[in-house]
Amino acid sequence: MEGYSRNGEISPKLLDLMIPQERRNWFHDEKNSVFKTEEKKLELKLGPPGEEDDDESMIRHMKKEPKDKSILSLAGKYFSPSSTKTTSHKRTAPGPVVGWPPVRSFRKNLASGSSSKLGNDSTTSNGVTLKNQKCDDAAKTTEPKRQGGMFVKINMYGVPIGRKVDLSAHNSYEQLSFTVDKLFRGLLAAQRDFPSSIEDEKPITGLLDGNGEYTLTYEDNEGDKMLVGDVPWQMFVSSVKRLRVIKTSEISSALTYGNGKQEKMRR
Amino acid sequence: MTEEDSSAKMSEDVERYLKLNPPCSSSSSSSAVAFANKSGTFKSSSPPCPEHVLENVLESVLQFLTSRCDRNAVSLVCKSWYRVEAQTRFEVFIGNCYSLSPARLTHRFKGLRSIVLKGKPRFADFNLMPPNWGAQFAPWVVATAKAYPWLEKVHLKRMFVTDDDLALLADSFPGFKELTLVCCEGFGTSGIAVVANKCRQLKVLDLVESEVTDDEVDWISCFPEGESPLESLSFDCVESPINFNALEGLVVRSPFLKKLRTNRFVSLEELHRLMVRAPQLTSLGTGSFSPDNAPQGEQLPDYAAAFLACKSIVCLSGFREFRPEYLLAISPVCANLTSLNFSYANISPHMLNPIIRNCHNIRVFWALDSIRDEGLQAVAATCKELRELRIFPFDPREDSEGPVSGVGLQAISEGCRKLESILYFCQRMTNEAVTAMSENCPQLTVFRLCIMGRHRPDHVTGKPMDDGFGAIVKNCKKLTRLAVSGLLTDEAFSYIGEYGKLIRTLSVAFAGNSDKALRYVLEGCPKLQKLEIRDSPFGDAGLRSGMHRYCNMRFVWLSSCVLSLGGCRDVAQALPNVVVEVFGSDGDDDDDTVTGDYVETLYLYRSLDGPRKDAPKFVTIL
Repeated sequence: MEGYSRNGEISPKLLDLMIPQERRNWFHDEKNSVFKTEEKKLELKLGPPGEEDDDESMIRHMKKEPKDKSILSLAGKYFSPSSTKTTSHKRTAPGPVVGWPPVRSFRKNLASGSSSKLGNDSTTSNGVTLKNQKCDDAAKTTEPKRQGGMFVKINMYGVPIGRKVDLSAHNSYEQLSFTVDKLFRGLLAAQRDFPSSIEDEKPITGLLDGNGEYTLTYEDNEGDKMLVGDVPWQMFVSSVKRLRVIKTSEISSALTYGNGKQEKMRR
Repeated sequence: MTEEDSSAKMSEDVERYLKLNPPCSSSSSSSAVAFANKSGTFKSSSPPCPEHVLENVLESVLQFLTSRCDRNAVSLVCKSWYRVEAQTRFEVFIGNCYSLSPARLTHRFKGLRSIVLKGKPRFADFNLMPPNWGAQFAPWVVATAKAYPWLEKVHLKRMFVTDDDLALLADSFPGFKELTLVCCEGFGTSGIAVVANKCRQLKVLDLVESEVTDDEVDWISCFPEGESPLESLSFDCVESPINFNALEGLVVRSPFLKKLRTNRFVSLEELHRLMVRAPQLTSLGTGSFSPDNAPQGEQLPDYAAAFLACKSIVCLSGFREFRPEYLLAISPVCANLTSLNFSYANISPHMLNPIIRNCHNIRVFWALDSIRDEGLQAVAATCKELRELRIFPFDPREDSEGPVSGVGLQAISEGCRKLESILYFCQRMTNEAVTAMSENCPQLTVFRLCIMGRHRPDHVTGKPMDDGFGAIVKNCKKLTRLAVSGLLTDEAFSYIGEYGKLIRTLSVAFAGNSDKALRYVLEGCPKLQKLEIRDSPFGDAGLRSGMHRYCNMRFVWLSSCVLSLGGCRDVAQALPNVVVEVFGSDGDDDDDTVTGDYVETLYLYRSLDGPRKDAPKFVTIL
C-alpha cells in the first residue's frame, strides 16, 4: 500500500491522538504534543523498533498535521495506516471501509444467497418459496428501511477509537462476534502495557457467553442496555442502536448504569 | 450531446419548420403576413407589428426544439427570446434539486408537461451520506401541483418521496402519464397504490432501484378496471409479494404493454402465464426465474415455447433466483436481444456460453463477474455490436477471489470495437489491458474501472495504474465520464487534466498523492460538471485551486480528504452563488460530529436561490 505518502510517521501520531473524544481541536493538540515529546519517546509504538524518534522528526510530524489529522477520523471508519506498515504481513488487512467497493446495497449479499460459490448451481430453495409469505429468513437480507447497509457504532473498553459495523452484512451472532474480534484485536493490542510484538495479539473471544475477558452489549431503541445474544437475531437487528464491548467483570454495573429499568442477566 | 450534435439537431428542427411553412416567393414581409394568417392572429392587409410576428415565428420554430442545450442558448439571445422560450418549454431537467427553488421554476416556465429532477449526489448510494439529508420531493410536488395542472411526466432520481407526495401527485394531475422513480426512497406500496388507482391515464410506472417499504397493500389490485393504457410497468425493486392474479388480470387488459419488469416474487410458472397473455412485450424482467416448489408430476409448462411466442422481446433482465436448468428457455429470443441483464444471476462461463453464442445483436450486457474472463472472451467473440458492458462483483469485498481481470478486459476491447460505455469491477488489472482498450475502443464515452482492492498497482509490473488511465484519456477523445481506481499518483491526474477535455463527470477514490492532483483536474478539464472524490489526500490548497470553476459546475463532493473548516469557509465566502455544505458521516449530534476544524464531507453546488432552508442539524452550511 504505497499510495499514501503517510506511513511510518503515523505510528507515534496515533498514540498522540489518544485524546478524550470531546477534544477534537487538532490545532490545540498540536501544541501540547510538541511539549510532550519526551514522554512520547518512551511510549510504545506500532511500528518496528528503531523508528526515528527525535524532536526534529516529531516537529516534522507536526507539520504534517493536516494529513495525519484525517487518520483518526478515518480510523472511525477503518483502521489503515499502521496496519499498512509492511512489517507484519500476518496482520489482517485493514478493516472494511464504508461504502467500498461502491456497490449499491441491493447488489450485495448475492454471495450469501442461494449459492455461495461462483457459478454454482443454486440447489437450495432459498427465497423461492417466498410468495405470499412475509419472509424474514436470512436470505431476504436484513435490509433496513434506509437505503444502504445498517451501520451501528461500536466502542470497546480501553480503545478510544470507535468503529462501525454493518449489521446487514451479518447473519448471526457468531459472525458479529468474529467481526468484533477483527475490528478491535489490533487496536486492543496497541493499548497493552507489555512489550509484545504484533504476533502476540490475543483473539477476542467469549464475547457472547460470558467466558471471555470482554462481553458484547448493546443499546436498543428504547435506550436500554442489554447483553447481546439473548433474542433472535432479527429481533436484535431491528432494535439495536449501538454496540459496546465491555469488560466481563463490569457487566452488572455497565448494564444498570443509565438504565433505570430492568437489567437483563443471563442465566 | 456534443455541440456538433446539438447544432445539427437545431438545423434539422429549422428545416422541418420550413418544410411545413414554406416561405412565399414574394417578399419576406408578405410571407410574414401569410404566416400570421396561419396562426390566426390577424388578417389585416397592413403588415403586422414586427415584434409580434417575430414572437409568433419564434414560437412555432421553438416548438420543435427539444434539446435543452439549444433551448438554454435560445433563451440567452434577448429578453423576447427568453420569454418565448419559457412559454414553449414543455420539458425541464433539473440536475440538482437544490440549485433553484420551486418558486423560481414555476415563475419562469408556465406550461411544463414534464419534469426531471435529481436530488442526492451519487456517493449517497454508498452510505457516505447520513439519512435525512434532504432532497425532498414535497416542496416540488406542492409547487407544481398549483402551477402545472397539465403535468404529464415526473422522473425523479435520488429523491426522498413520501406516500403523501405520491397522493398529492395523483390528485393534482388529471392527465398524468409517466412516473419514474430511480434510486428513490421514503415511500411504500401504499403510495404506489394511490398512483395506480387515481392516475387513469397512466402509461408508465417504473420503479428502478428504489427502496419501497412494504405496507402490505395490494397495489396491483388498485389499478382501475377496464382497458388500461399501461405501456411500461417495472417493479423489480419492490421487495414484497404481489397479488399474482391481479397482475395477470392487469396484463390481460393492457394491450399496449411493452415493458414489464416483475420482482423476484414472481415464479417461473407465473412468468410463463404472463408471457402467454402478453406476446407483444418487448422488454421483460423475469422475476425469480425459478419455479415454485411446484407439485411434481404435472405437465411442466413449455418455457421455451413461451419465449418463442414472444417474438418482440429485445430486452431481458431479472433472473433473481434463477435455476440453471431453465436458462436455456430464453434461447429463442437470443438472436433478437439488444439488451441482456444477468447482473443478479450467478452465471458461470459454462452456463453463459450456449446463450451468448447466439446474441449477435446485443448492445447492452450486464453481468456478474461469475462469468469470469472466459465468459468475457465468449462475449467478445460474438457480441460485435456491444455498446455498453457492466460487470458487477458477485462478492463485493476487497479480498474476494477476483474472477475477472485484464485478460477479460483486453478480450472485450479486441472483440467489441464499438464499445461506448464500460463499468468493470475487478480485483487486479494491468496498464497493458487498459491501454489496449483505449486503443481498440475509440468510441468510449464512459470508462469506469473499479479495482476493488484499494491502492492496488498493476499486478504484473507493480507500477501505478497511471499509464493505463493516461492512455484512456489520451486515446478516447470522446470520453465524458471517468472513474479511476487502483494505485494512482499525481501523474495520472496530470494526464486527466491535460487530455480530458470533454470529461463531465469524474469519480476518484483512494488516489493521488497531493493537492497537485486536484489542481490538475480543476485547472485542466473545462467541461467538468460533477466531481466526486473520497479518501484522497487533497486539502485546502487543492480546493482553492478550483474557485474559478465552482460556479460552472453542478457539484463537487470531497469526503474523507484533508480539508479544514477554514479552507471551506474561504470558498463559501468567495463564492456567494455556491452553497457549501459540510457534514460528518453520522446523522446524530453526538461526539462524532464535526466539532473541530476537520471536515469529513464537503458538498458544494451552485445555487440561484441561496442556501436551502431544510438542512438537517448535522449539516452546516458555511
